Amino acid sequence: MATVQFEAVSKTYPGGVRAVEGVELLVEDGEFVVLVGPSGCGKSTTLRMVAGLEEITGGTLRIGGRVVNEVPGRDRDVAMVFQNYALYPHLSVRQNMAFPLERRREHGGLLARLTSGSAAREEDARIAAEVERAAQVLGITALLERKPSALSGGQRQRVAVGRALVRRPAVFLFDEPLSNLDAKLRVEMRAELKALHQRLGATMLYVTHDQEEAMTLGDRLVVMDGGAVQQCASPREVYERPSNRFVAGFVGTPSMNFLEGKMEGGRLQVPGAQPLELGGRHRERGGGLVLGVRPDALRRAQGAEEAMLHARVALVEDLGDRCDIRLEVEGDQELVARRPASELESWEALEAGTVVPLTFDREEAHLFEPGPHGVRCG
Amino acid sequence: MGSASFLSVLRRLLALVSAIAVLWAAARVARRDLLGENGESAEVVLTVMHWSGDAGQEEDRIVEEALRSYEEAHPGIRVERINPGDAGSFYTKLQTMMAAGTPPDVFYCGDERLPSLASMGVLRPLDELIAGDLAAGSDPGLDDFYPVVLDAYRWDGERTGAGPLYGLPKDFTTIGFYYNRDLFEQARVPLPSDDWNWDEFLDAAAAIGELEGCTGAEFVTWPRMLRLYLATQGCDVLSPDGSRLTVREPEVLEALQQLSNWRHVEENLLTSGKSRVATGATVFLTGRVGMAGPFGRWVVPSYRQIEGFAWDFAPMPRGRERANVIASVAWSISSRSEHPREAWELVRALCSPTSQDGLARLGLAMPSRRSIAESEAFVDPTAPPSRDRVFLDQVEVARLLPVPASPKFDALLESRLNQAVLTGDLSVDEATRSFEAAWRSEGESPLMRGAFPRMPWGTLRIVGLVAAAAAALAGLLWWRRTGAGRGPLAKEEERAGLLMASPLLLGLVLVMGFPILLSLVLSFTRWTGIAGLETAEWVGLANYAQLFGEDGRFWTSLRVTALYALLAVPVGQAFALGAALLMNARVPLIGLWRGVWYLPSVLAGVGVAVLWRWVFDGESGLANALLTPLLEPLGLQPPDWFGADAAAFGVPAFAIMNLWMVGGSMMIYLAGLQGIPRELYEAAELDGATAWQRFTRVTLPMLSPVLVFNGVMAVIGSFQVFTQAFVMTRGEPGDLTRFYVLYLYNQAFDFYEMGYASAMAWILLVVVLVLTGLFLRGSRRHVHYEGLAG
Repeated sequence: MATVQFEAVSKTYPGGVRAVEGVELLVEDGEFVVLVGPSGCGKSTTLRMVAGLEEITGGTLRIGGRVVNEVPGRDRDVAMVFQNYALYPHLSVRQNMAFPLERRREHGGLLARLTSGSAAREEDARIAAEVERAAQVLGITALLERKPSALSGGQRQRVAVGRALVRRPAVFLFDEPLSNLDAKLRVEMRAELKALHQRLGATMLYVTHDQEEAMTLGDRLVVMDGGAVQQCASPREVYERPSNRFVAGFVGTPSMNFLEGKMEGGRLQVPGAQPLELGGRHRERGGGLVLGVRPDALRRAQGAEEAMLHARVALVEDLGDRCDIRLEVEGDQELVARRPASELESWEALEAGTVVPLTFDREEAHLFEPGPHGVRCG
Repeated sequence: MGSASFLSVLRRLLALVSAIAVLWAAARVARRDLLGENGESAEVVLTVMHWSGDAGQEEDRIVEEALRSYEEAHPGIRVERINPGDAGSFYTKLQTMMAAGTPPDVFYCGDERLPSLASMGVLRPLDELIAGDLAAGSDPGLDDFYPVVLDAYRWDGERTGAGPLYGLPKDFTTIGFYYNRDLFEQARVPLPSDDWNWDEFLDAAAAIGELEGCTGAEFVTWPRMLRLYLATQGCDVLSPDGSRLTVREPEVLEALQQLSNWRHVEENLLTSGKSRVATGATVFLTGRVGMAGPFGRWVVPSYRQIEGFAWDFAPMPRGRERANVIASVAWSISSRSEHPREAWELVRALCSPTSQDGLARLGLAMPSRRSIAESEAFVDPTAPPSRDRVFLDQVEVARLLPVPASPKFDALLESRLNQAVLTGDLSVDEATRSFEAAWRSEGESPLMRGAFPRMPWGTLRIVGLVAAAAAALAGLLWWRRTGAGRGPLAKEEERAGLLMASPLLLGLVLVMGFPILLSLVLSFTRWTGIAGLETAEWVGLANYAQLFGEDGRFWTSLRVTALYALLAVPVGQAFALGAALLMNARVPLIGLWRGVWYLPSVLAGVGVAVLWRWVFDGESGLANALLTPLLEPLGLQPPDWFGADAAAFGVPAFAIMNLWMVGGSMMIYLAGLQGIPRELYEAAELDGATAWQRFTRVTLPMLSPVLVFNGVMAVIGSFQVFTQAFVMTRGEPGDLTRFYVLYLYNQAFDFYEMGYASAMAWILLVVVLVLTGLFLRGSRRHVHYEGLAG
């Protein structure tokens, strides 16, 4: 178990492509931190730098207090689970799981067997026990003699985790481990991984592009975009107080609705909406501002006085337990409202194009500076 | 729907086109046969085949002119001329044409080939035609020909010199030494006289050998030249009637020992003979060799190009006797020619005084007609050599050497005795014993002595047809049965596919399958591969019995090949894999490096082999030039790869050469390497594997299917080595580099033992099958196909 500390860690590829820039992060001992972001955001590169699979070109990386910039991956005491499992196809599950222990044994090789036979046998037994233990934890004891090609995706993933587990490494690294699984299995494995973390209390660094997975797994999320950390906080805080428009849009399904507006006389003017009275420090400012409202915060206004904006109904999507209503506001801005299934009939009764009054609670409104990475301002 | 019906029409169309192509091709063949039997008698077509020696296109021109004037004089006869190139290609082509039943009507025949060709019955005796001419009052003028030259083409079934005449000699040559006058003068030795002897030859050679960078003489030891040398010493390897081997008699041993000493004991007396690169006639052109021979007249056209020094011709030196032999070429007529009369007329025209006059002026050979030889056409004072008369004077002492009908005699004589007098890897005693034993076992082979019945081809044909029909029927039934579960769409697609594949399938069956089966049948026969198939004799298992039981050279060739495989396969594959690992690196210009490594594999085999012959040249080769500075400090000498050290270094040299051609295997390994997921290496790295462990634990197991594939291909390839050996060593010295397929080639095309060679081919097939099976079985435990499934 160990901490992982990033100090201005950067990665610039030969040719000048900057994949990761100035990451500052302290992963506490035993913490489950999820790196999340769209593809190409630098999250995998960051993880691979921890693993020692990518050279660190700037800054300092410490694992358990030790600077590891120059330490080869095999000496960093980290274990990694890969997206495509990276099992050795020619070895059985047992051999796959024993592989890292075999590589690290003290009494290996024919010579050692001849000279210190008993020590070597003890080590054999220790390795076997370790593999059994991990297999039991993951429920794959019955699969130990099979080859990876005879396993399902979920089973392969368990073996890959098991191979990391047997080593009891200082840090576990997961690189999109659930991406190749189907949706149902993904949810199951997610829960198992969470339980595993709670059981082991190990430091885990997890990369995914799936914000739902990130939300459910992480003690803390690191949202990345364009090689830089956008926000680093607990899932709840990331969801409730996204630090900028990118994070707000990335986290949550469906995405947060954004309406571009202008400040005029202390009020936010959004086309098609009632001017929004903003208090405090916003009163003084002018220029553009972006209003963000999560789909589940939008609802139909009960009367004209309650209506904060008007929108045309474009499409109603029945999702079973809920429904998404796609709407258009003046100026071709699109909105999505997510409502409980109980409202489905009333929404479906409306013809496409019907203008409906909508409202939301003031405390549910987020405000951002203009631009894709506009900073939160209320 | 539109595109679907278009595709269906297109498919039918393609199938139809394929079917028509097959039918058309079959019809063409059938028609040709029918026409051949009906015979378009309006025009007689004669085929003439010859080669061109050193005179090249000039010889072409003279033959062509003779043919045209013959055509003018004989309206209604058309002559087609074929010239496949040099004499070697000529005989291969001749054999193929004869085996195919379409021999040329008139063709060159060297006197050394006459016994074997005449004994196989492929040449037409000319006596009847000559008698006919005489009766008609048209004298072919045989009296004008040198009798000794004419006698070389008489064959009575046992020896030359008597019996029917099988060819009309177009020209001939006596043998002697060419000498560099300038070097003689520099060394202050008297020029050779018309009656010089070996002592004078040696004195001159020794004196010239003392000159800076010069060697006394180039002395070739081709069978005929070796026997000529022995003749001057008053002995021979065969008794005069050809019935008894005399190679072990004391005077022969003494003479051979003397020749061997000249080469291997004395300094700079004879060129070493270690080198195949600079031997023969061309070494004289360098101007650093005092004498070159024994050669005939054929080198004159190329020596006439010499500008740097003066040269001339001397007779064969005298030992106990004055002696000489004749080398000649005749025009012969195929025994299967349908127009023997016309062919004979043509032969007469080709040997007419006019034609001989033209040929004589080329300088290439001596006219076989005395009247032309004595004329200024040959004895030309203006063109070198100035001593043309010497050639003619030697006719007086020229003799016919007895030659057995089997071409194996010359081949064995050359390969065995050269081990003593040329490469020096055996002593004279060992070499002569080895020759004697080899020739004796040939003579005692039941195949050589036994009388065997003719092949019952008629019965076999019926059996074959029935079997083929049964096989076709079985195939059809099988196809029907397995097709039961298929729907109409699948069936239609299958039918169209089969139709479209039919040209290839028929090609495979007819062009590949039939000859393969025929070769199996032939392996139970004795057949020359030159006379028609009807001459094949059924010998049962005698070929196989002879191969396994008696033929030491078969086992030798198998041993040579197996040794090569043992060396070349593991080392070559390790080398290829190493190269592939290098080529898999991410470095600048990797495409260029890959191309460079692959390049040798696309170069032509013969050219490459010639280059490597130079590389391994014992005296001036690149390999030894590199090795010498490494070995000299250790007090070691670099090996004479294909010479005296061939027993230990001959086969390894081929294995080393093989390393140069691993490009193909390398590319396959490279493809395999690139198919290994990078994550496996990353996982192994994090799991604590070192670079070596990543190679042994990830690369090798993941590559194991590719390793097996390449391994099997390499084993098969190593048993098929031919070109390199054929070009570089011809299997010599002795049989030290005689690879299996080379020996098979020797049997089929040098010894005219096609049945025997077929048996060898089938043994090879079984050997390779067994080896491949063992290889696959043995590797099964270590091969992991899981990686391929992904």
